[in-house]
Amino acid sequence: MNFSVFETDKNGLQKFYEETIAKNETYAPVEKFGKYDYKKVSALPECDPDSPISLTMSVKPLFFPRSSKIMKYEENREGTIITETDEDPLAGKRVILGVKHCDARGLQVLDRVYKWDYIDADYQKRRENSVIISTRCNKADVNCFCTSLDYDVENSDAHDIRIINGLNEKIYIQAVTEKGEDLLKGVPGLQFSVCSSEVAGEESAKHFKAFDSSFRLKMNYKEVNEKLQNSFDSPEFDPASKNCISCNTCAFICPTCHCFKITDEKIKDTGIRYKSYDSCNNGYFTLMAGGHNPRPVKYRRWRQRAMHKFVYYKERFGVNLCVGCGHCAISCPVNISIFDVVNQVV
Amino acid sequence: MDYTKQIQEIASKLFAEEKIDIFIGYRQNAFDDNQVPILVTVPADVPNLIFTDKSVLNLTNYLKFEHTRNKRVGIVVKGCDSRALNMLLTESQVKRENLYVIGINCTGVLNEKGEKAQNCLECVMPDAVVYDEMIGTPSGKKEYSVNVDVKELAAKGLVERGEYFQEIFENCIRCNACRHSCPLCYCTKCCIDQESAVLYNGSNTPSSAFHALMTWSLHLAGRCVDCRNCEKACPSHLPLHLLHKQNEMVIYENFQQHLAGMEKDDRGAFYKYSMKDPDDFIM
Repeated sequence: MNFSVFETDKNGLQKFYEETIAKNETYAPVEKFGKYDYKKVSALPECDPDSPISLTMSVKPLFFPRSSKIMKYEENREGTIITETDEDPLAGKRVILGVKHCDARGLQVLDRVYKWDYIDADYQKRRENSVIISTRCNKADVNCFCTSLDYDVENSDAHDIRIINGLNEKIYIQAVTEKGEDLLKGVPGLQFSVCSSEVAGEESAKHFKAFDSSFRLKMNYKEVNEKLQNSFDSPEFDPASKNCISCNTCAFICPTCHCFKITDEKIKDTGIRYKSYDSCNNGYFTLMAGGHNPRPVKYRRWRQRAMHKFVYYKERFGVNLCVGCGHCAISCPVNISIFDVVNQVV
Repeated sequence: MDYTKQIQEIASKLFAEEKIDIFIGYRQNAFDDNQVPILVTVPADVPNLIFTDKSVLNLTNYLKFEHTRNKRVGIVVKGCDSRALNMLLTESQVKRENLYVIGINCTGVLNEKGEKAQNCLECVMPDAVVYDEMIGTPSGKKEYSVNVDVKELAAKGLVERGEYFQEIFENCIRCNACRHSCPLCYCTKCCIDQESAVLYNGSNTPSSAFHALMTWSLHLAGRCVDCRNCEKACPSHLPLHLLHKQNEMVIYENFQQHLAGMEKDDRGAFYKYSMKDPDDFIM
């Protein structure tokens, strides 16, 4: 099916954003303390869809919240009464602006685990109700390596509408899925010239070439993946993870990490049960009730992290869990990059 | 401030004399001008050591991890780091005889923008207070001054101040990187990691973040040395120093100008008793 492509310029794009925000419930990167996080916006000046990748949090919390209520409970003589929480996962439709390609890809990767043996209804509902408008970075950050991995960044279908900055000062707005097409049609006052998908494709390819050449990090993914499969007992995990301070930041800001913990806010006999992020870099992540901890030392926890990202997930779901966004390296207080760790081990 | 040569010389001497098992210093990051910690265990890695005014992290944090436990450690400390080390020694977290401390008389480090870091501008003790060997010329103790943003915040009313901190807590993602990056947070099981409690339940609700961060800052009140490792670690760039500096200011004014870790065996303000302590808050 052919989807529409529009050609416009900077002002046109601004107008498109304004219209979108006016017509829909919109989320976009909002700056706070120098860091961008996706929040609900009501006007374009509040947010910056072109926020730099190094300062932008992942879009994951909009689908898998940092904390969500699972249930309420009350204990009495008869037993425990469990009730639904008052939290609505997502009532209406929404649009998310300024999502980076790697971030959107992260959601696609997450879909597999959420549609696996247990189907997470809340996640599915949030996914179905969201239209993702992505912007492609013009230049790679020092820690990025998305183009080295096993997905097609150029022709990614992870988002619904993509915005490509042509090298000729033109901007192309292209629908990628039906959801995106519907949104583009639903924005009235769009007086952009319709552009053939060939022209847009050509410009997009040119832009991609320039983007691709700006990467500092390149990885031979196939080789790394193959070698890592036999590296479980590699002694290199210890020196590679020596600097780690087990602070969990990498997992909390990762667009694909999906481990969580269950905790209770308990007052006497009533309580609310929460599902919140957790990280395998935590010393007590694998601590069992009897006191045994299979991963008591840092290198074992880092081995789990690296192998899950580059081997285990691929074995089970066919795609790499790491999307190469570099968020972990940017946010790490001691600049450990998963790229360096896997390269040091293989 | 470039002490790379001196530090490399000392480190290789220590390894040659078999005085240490591990040396904790700084290494140049491969692709930008930032520096990251390096734990040197073989003399061959010594040439990677570096020390310039970009050596911002507090390395005493590494004294709580398994790589350095019960080992003989060589470590580089700046003024603020040495105060943290003093606290760790006072609280019996490290053994002095296991340490070989290289004290730097610091002239201030730079932030990401290349300007002098804020905590260095208001530094009280740029010279190392614990050391076996000293590098640089001592500049002596400075006058205590509270930073402008802390003063401004303190001048605000209780409600306004509460609102400002509420804003901070709302942007917290509860990763606890601040705690893990703090050299003085060494508890193996932290009280904010409880799984079923009203105050701390690990969830990312504003109230849970509020209680966790407040408790954390109060456990560091009178102990915090203003190295700002927590702020550098925070992925949300929260101004966490406001919490600590606020505490520090109140303690300095009320508890005989107490500053953490300035002297050996000087316990935190809340761990010692003095007849001069104010008692007007006791009912």
